[in-house]
Amino acid sequence: MIALLVAGPVLIILVSLFIGRYPLSVSEVFTTLGFRMGLVQADIPATHLNVVWDVRLPRAILGAMVGASLAVSGASFQGMFRNPLVSANILGVTSGAGFGAALAIIMFDGQTFFIYLFAFAFGLLAVILSYLIGTTYKATPTVMLVLGGVVVSSIFSALISLLKYIADPFDQLPSIVFWLMGSLASARFTDIVIAAIPMLIGVIGLLLMRWRLNVLSLGDIEARALGLNVLIAKSLAIFFATLATAGAVCVSGVIGWVGLVIPHIGRMLVGNNNEALIPVTISLGAGYLVIVDNIARTLTGSEIPLGILTSLIGGPFFIYLIRRTKARGW
Amino acid sequence: MGIIKVRNATFSYGRENVFENIDLEINAGEVFCLFGPNGCGKSTLILCMLGVLPLSNGQISLGGRNVRGMKPSEVAKVAAYIPQSHEKPFPYKAIDIVLMGRTAHTATFSPPSPADRKIADEALEKVGIAEFRDRPYTQLSGGETQLVLVARALAQQTPILIMDEPTAHLDFRNELNFLETIVKLVKQSGLTIIMATHFPNHAFYFEGIGVNSSLALMNNRNIAVKGNPFEVLTEENMENVFNIKSKIISYTWKDETLRQIVPLETS
Repeated sequence: MIALLVAGPVLIILVSLFIGRYPLSVSEVFTTLGFRMGLVQADIPATHLNVVWDVRLPRAILGAMVGASLAVSGASFQGMFRNPLVSANILGVTSGAGFGAALAIIMFDGQTFFIYLFAFAFGLLAVILSYLIGTTYKATPTVMLVLGGVVVSSIFSALISLLKYIADPFDQLPSIVFWLMGSLASARFTDIVIAAIPMLIGVIGLLLMRWRLNVLSLGDIEARALGLNVLIAKSLAIFFATLATAGAVCVSGVIGWVGLVIPHIGRMLVGNNNEALIPVTISLGAGYLVIVDNIARTLTGSEIPLGILTSLIGGPFFIYLIRRTKARGW
Repeated sequence: MGIIKVRNATFSYGRENVFENIDLEINAGEVFCLFGPNGCGKSTLILCMLGVLPLSNGQISLGGRNVRGMKPSEVAKVAAYIPQSHEKPFPYKAIDIVLMGRTAHTATFSPPSPADRKIADEALEKVGIAEFRDRPYTQLSGGETQLVLVARALAQQTPILIMDEPTAHLDFRNELNFLETIVKLVKQSGLTIIMATHFPNHAFYFEGIGVNSSLALMNNRNIAVKGNPFEVLTEENMENVFNIKSKIISYTWKDETLRQIVPLETS
């Protein structure tokens, strides 16, 4: 089971090394990989190295990490909020990150580093604000948290509109709009290393505390009576899910629907017990986003922004899912 | 020897006290029924005993320790809770729910151990619902769900079980089945049971079947009378505390004299 969950995404990443507008044969790809890893001595054309090692591989790895992060955060929030329809953005992380990115595009001329930094920081800020709004005396009632998330999302959306309005329409505005559509096109290994840290911490954290998510889903009073320190457990889960999502969003922009569709496929496959659901969701999310990104970069002559595709695929697929299961999965 | 001691307990959500100056002592190994009308503060008192809600005044000791200073995991190793109604957030299997009784025994970043899983399976067995093990518990009836929650409480392996109107949503037969299960558990393992209830006859049932039982009548934010069912459930007390005219009837079954209280009219 575990082998399958790891092998699936790895295989999809390998396959995506062959996909693209620059044609490469099987042996070309593998000798390039082997050469780069120091396993083979060969005379590799610089273009091959560039295409395989510097463009396709980092992009596929990043796609897998982003997909896994968004999917597992969605699944965790669904468990925690006892609602199968919430996604990773329930506490406003995406809107906050979008605002941060737009601000960096205007303030720092769109330098990549600052876009990441601001997107990440404002994503975290949005969640912290939602959390503070939702926290009453020594407790974080779910309804209040959701309400906090709605308010904070809406405020940051308004601020994004404001930034779009004042942005330079020839240069900055298109950058903001493209960022908000989501893309993995800028992925390089240096980016992966930076963004991987929060994503890995988040994903691994949720993976480790996945059984606790079951207990949290019973509601505050029962979870507490079962011996769970609800405040700490909930805060930890929110912390990990937010790290994962903010890490993903800051490099990829807004990629919708992954956190909703993937956990539901997982629920159909292995049920709702987070012990099985969380690992399956991580694996499915990783594989799914790499596949969709391959479609995004090959379907037409120029790239289609990833966020558009995930919504175009995710929306109808979600309708198909809930009609097929008649919402019995939850 | 009181396994739970409530001293001068007062609780308020805001200005209004839900209950005030309550004194109670519950002995180990007995079934203690807390009887009172809706909204009299039974559920609140129960949540205070579990340390979920903090008292405004007074103190509650649970197994010899002030519940206020106990961590959730420490409380959950002494007392298990069976709620009145349980919202089912996801169609977990019955065994998944029972396994959650092991929460206090697992660390934050680790799943339950094989030993925990074995304990959960044994709990299902003990309650007699092993056949539900892999069924989604959303498909179980109210009575069956309540038994799953009893199994979850047993998996906690606590000396005390605290139940909040556990039979409120059960039909005639399931109610009796539930009471029989409780009696079996008390006789087998010497558990202490605290049970909030709407039905005074539950206390007579426990008394009649030979289980140590006591009862407290709760009304108007306080405990009016407490003691064993025979002393407490009298026609005078029902009249004085609840303004109900009632009749105690007794009958013989299997050579035992059993009692029931029958409400006649409100006064």
